[in-house]
Amino acid sequence: MNDILLKIEGLRASVEDKEILKGVDLTIRKGEIHAVMGPNGAGKSTLSAVLAGKPQFTVTAGTIEFMGRDLLAMSPEERAWAGIFLSFQYPVEIPGVTITNFMKTAVNAHRAGKGLEPLKAGDFLKLMREKMAFVQMKPEFAKREVNVGFSGGEKKRNEIFQMAMLDPTLAILDETDSGLDVDALRIVANGVNALHTPEKAAIVITHYQRLLDYIVPDVVHILKDGKIVKTAGRELVAEIEEKGYDNL
Amino acid sequence: MGSLIIRSNDIVHKVYIWDGRSGCCSDDPRLSVDRLPLAGGGMSSPQSTPNDLVCKGMPQSIVVERCAKVDIVVLVMPGVSCDIRLDVRLAGEGAEANIYGAYVCGGKEKVKISVDMRHDVPHCNSRQLFKGIAGGDSRVDFYGKITVAQDAQKTEAYQENHNLLLSDGAKVDTKPQLEIYADDVKCSHGATIGRLNEEEQFYMRSRGISLEDAKVLQMISFIAPVLEHVEDEARREHASSELETAIRNVVRNL
Repeated sequence: MNDILLKIEGLRASVEDKEILKGVDLTIRKGEIHAVMGPNGAGKSTLSAVLAGKPQFTVTAGTIEFMGRDLLAMSPEERAWAGIFLSFQYPVEIPGVTITNFMKTAVNAHRAGKGLEPLKAGDFLKLMREKMAFVQMKPEFAKREVNVGFSGGEKKRNEIFQMAMLDPTLAILDETDSGLDVDALRIVANGVNALHTPEKAAIVITHYQRLLDYIVPDVVHILKDGKIVKTAGRELVAEIEEKGYDNL
Repeated sequence: MGSLIIRSNDIVHKVYIWDGRSGCCSDDPRLSVDRLPLAGGGMSSPQSTPNDLVCKGMPQSIVVERCAKVDIVVLVMPGVSCDIRLDVRLAGEGAEANIYGAYVCGGKEKVKISVDMRHDVPHCNSRQLFKGIAGGDSRVDFYGKITVAQDAQKTEAYQENHNLLLSDGAKVDTKPQLEIYADDVKCSHGATIGRLNEEEQFYMRSRGISLEDAKVLQMISFIAPVLEHVEDEARREHASSELETAIRNVVRNL
């Protein structure tokens, strides 16, 4: 069973005393792509926030194991070092901090976590250029302030660029398709697919089928009112598209 | 406590650093040497009388003559209590004065800044931008005034004071004032007191940036709009790295 990356059992979580997750069980193995679908307000974004360790959410019951470690005991930055990456539904603007400075700090923090020296400036810039090209970001974005004044598509490409820089074991994509036109959707999906390997896994959280035409899941879960109410193969996506969430 | 007169058509750029280690300020290009003594020779210790907190090297009044321009950058490092008073008079048409200031307080500092910007004649521009961080039990008092005389038409005068409050023990008082006697002018002032944004912190932490580093980045980027007005790159880099070290110490003691 050591191919299990993530094991969630009986997870309950609240925000401001309102319970959002009401007992979630989910097991993800190496090489798998899981889709978590569900209507608005089902708790999809809460699940991703809890996995990444957002302080505003309180876990009231249950356990999460990531690669054999107790994820709930780890800070958000420790989770990142361990290999978890969350692509935000609404990427945060950080005025005054350039993408270069932001990523340099992030990459070197990851390296320090592994006992490695900071990257040399030249090597870092080369890596940046390579990964920016990978998601078709123009080089001048390196000097821009993080997400400030970015279009919806630029913000999401910036998320996948950061994912490429940090090379996570488990990527969680929270509504990455929202606000994207078809071209941007394809760039983002191609990026995610190219980064996927048999050693890694991804959770794709989405309301619609659209993104799953490009990132094809192995397992599909329906999250409704804080619980996973149905799990099946990729054929479930078409069924939802046809019948809607209400008739499940 | 001298005065500085900027003669017609001159352009003057000055940087004054109030430094925690020496308690002095300097506009020397090398920054780390020849720091000017405080008036009375005292350090900014808690025993200092208010007069000791006034720096000899920094003028208290500035007169800007016709078509002359002055840029002043004032940086107050952690550990320094000070009473900075600056009276600026735009005395000749086409004069321009830009005053930028930043302060970082993490302990029991008392930082008092008052700027009196007087537009006496038409067609002058002024800008004041002060940004600061108050933690620990520090106390910041900012008083900024713009006076536009009746004859000073076509004046453009702006003033901003923005503060980050890091602790419940810190206190910031900001009093912007406009006194305008002319009718064809563009003037504005703005003052804010806020806290570090937690959404930004979580975003950075989710990328593996530690909470401490995230706070340091937030504070440096908050101060950066002041720092960028230090013209000389070497001086700017030097001031920036001193500030970063100082800010990191403040964050560690939060």
